[in-house]
Amino acid sequence: MKAAKFPLAYPTAGFGALLFVLGAMWYAASSQNSAAIYLLLFMLVSVFLVSIPHTLINLASVKLTVESAKPTFAGDEVCLPVEIMNNSRATRYGIEVVLPEADKTRERVDYIPRESAARLTLRFPARHRGEHKIAKLDLTSCYPLGFMRASKRIASNQTYIVYPKPAGSSQLPTNHSSRFVDSRAEQDIGSGDDFAGVRDYVPGESQRHIDWKAVARGQPLMMKEFAAETKGAVRLDFFELRFTDTEEKLSQLTLWVIEAERVRRPYGLRLPGLEISPAVGQMHFHRCLRALSLFRQKEHDAK
Amino acid sequence: MAAALVFTLPPFFDSLAIWVPSLFLLSLGLKFWMEPRGYRLRSIVLKLILVATAITAALITYGSASNIEAGISLLVILMSLKILEAHTAREFRVMVLIGWVLCLCGLFLSQDFTTALCLLFAFALLTVALVQFHRGAAPGAVWPPVRTTCNLLLQALPLVVLFFLVFPRINAGLRLELRPFRSTNIGFSDKLSPGKITALANSSDIAFRAEFPGSGTRPLGPMYWRGVVMWRCDGIEWRAPYEPRPKPMSNTPDVAASRGLSVQSSNAREIQQRITLAPHGARWMFALDRPIKSVRGAMLARGDYLWSIPPIRKSRQYDVVSSEISDKELTAKERADSLEVPASISPAVRDLAYSWTSQNPDPRSVISNALRFFRTQGFSYSLTPGGYEDLDEFLFHRRVGFCEHYAASFATLMRLAGIPARVVVGYLGGEYNELGHFILVRQADAHAWCEVWLPENGWTRVDPTSAVAPGRASLDLTSFLETNIASGQMGVRRNAWIAGLLRSGVVTNVRFVWQTLSYEWDTRLLAFDADVQDVFLASMGIGSSGPLFLIVEILLVAIALLAIYFAWMQRRTRSRLDRVKALYEYFCQKIARLGVRRDPCEGPLDFARRAAQSLPNESSRIRQIADAYILLRYAPQTAPGMLDRFTKEVNAFGKRARY
Repeated sequence: MKAAKFPLAYPTAGFGALLFVLGAMWYAASSQNSAAIYLLLFMLVSVFLVSIPHTLINLASVKLTVESAKPTFAGDEVCLPVEIMNNSRATRYGIEVVLPEADKTRERVDYIPRESAARLTLRFPARHRGEHKIAKLDLTSCYPLGFMRASKRIASNQTYIVYPKPAGSSQLPTNHSSRFVDSRAEQDIGSGDDFAGVRDYVPGESQRHIDWKAVARGQPLMMKEFAAETKGAVRLDFFELRFTDTEEKLSQLTLWVIEAERVRRPYGLRLPGLEISPAVGQMHFHRCLRALSLFRQKEHDAK
Repeated sequence: MAAALVFTLPPFFDSLAIWVPSLFLLSLGLKFWMEPRGYRLRSIVLKLILVATAITAALITYGSASNIEAGISLLVILMSLKILEAHTAREFRVMVLIGWVLCLCGLFLSQDFTTALCLLFAFALLTVALVQFHRGAAPGAVWPPVRTTCNLLLQALPLVVLFFLVFPRINAGLRLELRPFRSTNIGFSDKLSPGKITALANSSDIAFRAEFPGSGTRPLGPMYWRGVVMWRCDGIEWRAPYEPRPKPMSNTPDVAASRGLSVQSSNAREIQQRITLAPHGARWMFALDRPIKSVRGAMLARGDYLWSIPPIRKSRQYDVVSSEISDKELTAKERADSLEVPASISPAVRDLAYSWTSQNPDPRSVISNALRFFRTQGFSYSLTPGGYEDLDEFLFHRRVGFCEHYAASFATLMRLAGIPARVVVGYLGGEYNELGHFILVRQADAHAWCEVWLPENGWTRVDPTSAVAPGRASLDLTSFLETNIASGQMGVRRNAWIAGLLRSGVVTNVRFVWQTLSYEWDTRLLAFDADVQDVFLASMGIGSSGPLFLIVEILLVAIALLAIYFAWMQRRTRSRLDRVKALYEYFCQKIARLGVRRDPCEGPLDFARRAAQSLPNESSRIRQIADAYILLRYAPQTAPGMLDRFTKEVNAFGKRARY
């Protein structure tokens, strides 16, 4: 994490008001030729001036570390955890972390005791899918008087991923016939021994696969599902969608991925230039979503 | 915050309509009641109604919005309402700023030492409030922000001094002519009518302070501070000329020439005084009896008193020289003026005066007759004599009076007896501050006495009051209170206690210290205005370089000072833990110069092994340093001298390697 060597100080909005007050005092003092009012004026000016190094020092030896953010879906919130380390021998007050790229999202920690760290989570809306880089963060503080804001820019290489916004129909497509279904997938369906998860019991179903142990634990009736009993792997194919808009297609695919993962049905993904064979599980789930989020239409059109 | 605001108040109670600061306190209290309960002033209509009511009330109280008291009242009122409304962080900041403006307003109203201390305290508290606000939820609600503020103020002190002394007081012709915002009832008026001085007698406000730069000590004998001479007699009322005429200056050489002739002047000496006058809004200036030269911005009026040309609206300091001798010439005009008696004087009074002249026409015997009359005919001295219709009532019936009555009636009687006489109003005595070597004269020391013309002596002071109340001439405030008690005018017990308290040594000393500080504040600080600054700068030899140059210089000094503060704080708060690490990194740099670069993921042991292999000459030292580093970093306890040895080794490492 590279940080600017020295923090810079900027006037805040309060500074304008202070200037106004100082102006009024100066006018009063000079028009009355009054030493007492001059004294007040100079006191205010001096206190203000002296507060500048205090503000600057408040950021000295304070380090910021950006941790990795969990992927989120567009439209949700990105939670970016950061750690502020105070390496100095003095308590630091009122430190804010600002993310200038994301609408100046800011998070404030009131104080960090000496030689310890504080953790903050920056939350900001994820707008667009894709991989985003957090190039810079600002560490700022306007302690003690609030007329000056010291700001230290911190460069970072941290990235976060925003998955496409899930949208469209939650009904999984019924296309497990086409060329995507290979011999291994057929085998999987036939084997029928792999435990694949549980689902709600629907009255009238066979009682053979009810999870009786769970019932004994006081849970509702659940059906044990085995791989053989699933409807087979579903293939989520970019080219079979009839939407004209790429983003709409990606949103639909995202929703299907979530849906298929939820019912633990193997799913495969086919995008232009990329094919992921059917599977279930967190790794696979995130791999698919990542592929969807990083998808770029133009490159493939060019090919 | 609330405390800070409360401290800005005292000056307002003095001079604003009482309901204004009361409203302020009320809304402050209300806010404290509302805040924990979550009540807030939300309705805009209600706010507007409140504002409109308050402004109307202010306009009704003050009549117009154009004088300064009304302006400040409005500000205080709006601030009060703002307190009720304020809720957000921004509003808090605005309130602190308004608090500072209130400090400014307070200075407009009064600049005496007590007010200034109060406002200084308020200023500091406002800063504390601001600091506390920016600390948010940090622990320690009171002392840490106070400490920070003290730190700020202390560090700001040199800057304040620098700015105050050197920063050019640019006056861009923006003079704002304020209407006299104080009624001129401070001091006395141009009319000596019964009750005028009495009103002052109970006021302990400071009239002026005087130093004696020439001699260093106070003159012996009673000190009559001459204020104004009243020529026009109206019986028991006397008047000063509305616009005094300057004394013809040709008389001054006569004074010098006559010095050798007069019996009185042979032991008279010139007394130099430096007087710091409290603002009173009128034009009186005071000096010991009697000033012989005019001072700057004033004239020596006919009757030997000082008359300021501009009204005295702020504290003013001047040097004046006094001498006890008098002119030996009385012009015909002056003689006529000082013999004029109104026709309304009753025959009884005239007869009284004539009875003395027929006895013995010599003015001296007339005077002693008159004084005897006052002494023997049952006159008594009182602070609350009540009003008199005319001279008869005073002279023949009630015979209770204050100095003004005696002076007025005595002078009238003298005129009736054909002796030119006039009334002088001023102060008598004062309290000598042994610490600061100055005399403090209060309003309570106000006094009136007479001057009569004796052909051989010129104008001669006669104080008829001393005939009635012989101690009065040497009274100061303390004994003055006792006089009151003795004459049974005040609640005896309470004042005896106060008098006892005032006399006890500690209290007197504290009072002297306070007065001295207050005096220094007035003379050194308040007097340091643009003109004095010019002189000061010239004496420092930097006056000629122009304001812009000065500003640049000051800014440079200020920036340097701020940089020093920054470096100092940086040094003080930099982590000590990192020293070992910094040394080790320094060592790594040195070794890198010799050709072995440490890989970021390489531990000190691995690195030392590798470095020792490639630099066999230094291998033992490298191992030593690595071992010391590991011990310092990871051992639960290290030997006391370890760090120093480590430092030495690291520092020595490169040097030896070079040979």
